[in-house]
Amino acid sequence: MAKKKALTNVELCKGCRLCVGACPVGAIEALMQVNKKGYEIIRVDEDKCIGCGNCYTMCPDYVFSIEEV
Amino acid sequence: MAGMKKPESIVQTAGYCGGCGHGIIQRLIAESVEELGIAEKTIAVVDIACAYWSLDALNFDGIAGPHGRCASVATGIKKVRPDANVYVHAGDGCSYVIGLAETCFAAARDIPITMIVVNNGIFGMTGGQLCLATTLEGDWTVSSVKGRNVEDTGKPFDVLQMLKSMDIEFAARGAVYDAKHIRELKKYIKKGFENQRDKKGFSIIEVLSPCPTNWKMTPVQAMEKIKDETEKIFPTGVFVDRGGAK
Repeated sequence: MAKKKALTNVELCKGCRLCVGACPVGAIEALMQVNKKGYEIIRVDEDKCIGCGNCYTMCPDYVFSIEEV
Repeated sequence: MAGMKKPESIVQTAGYCGGCGHGIIQRLIAESVEELGIAEKTIAVVDIACAYWSLDALNFDGIAGPHGRCASVATGIKKVRPDANVYVHAGDGCSYVIGLAETCFAAARDIPITMIVVNNGIFGMTGGQLCLATTLEGDWTVSSVKGRNVEDTGKPFDVLQMLKSMDIEFAARGAVYDAKHIRELKKYIKKGFENQRDKKGFSIIEVLSPCPTNWKMTPVQAMEKIKDETEKIFPTGVFVDRGGAK
């Protein structure tokens, strides 16, 4: 079975950090780096990600998509 | 579980503040409508407040009624187009304060519309004033700088408990503070649309949502406040379920 991973489009991010707490395995890391809109973005650690979809469920700005890789 | 992707009905990002619950609710609406395959006949009724952004973001037909009169506008649309899927996306200021009469009488007439009310405990778009129905006791707002005083402004009240006495199809309250509650909320919203598809009755879904900008909190603190304080006063769960769609 192909594994599912969270892919991100950080240009949509508004820096709310809700995904960081929603991730059950702590795979999402908050960065100080900003996107074009000036919000601080996040990064997903692909090795830790289990593709559960909690970040997709929690994100108000549609940054994440869960896809088979 | 198939892949999870942004619903196709969401065509652009909305101007909500970072951490606003409206974005999540808007996605749940889009997902539910797409899963039921009723996007073509969906008509959105939004309020002139933060929910107005969803007119830009979603590609459903939409109308913004006069402030607070969303339930009446939706009633009118449903009467002339009984096959349309009419939903209201509005805040607590619209539905529970200025438009309380409209909400109550739409419920009393049991009009088959789906009403989604975002309870963020404050008037968001106008800059964070006290909302008589939903601001918690002692909470700071720009019009209650010493905290909500019960002697002057009364206590917050539970509109769903009030609507319980009327003969309506479905009333439920969800929250957006964690993934579990969001999944539960999606079931309520989908049920609201199914009731309408099966020509049942009035469905109202209230959502406990944060307003980090006007609560002067970080988004994470705001979610914790809902969990620790707001949910104690406004409990989540199903209030009325007359059977409805199976």
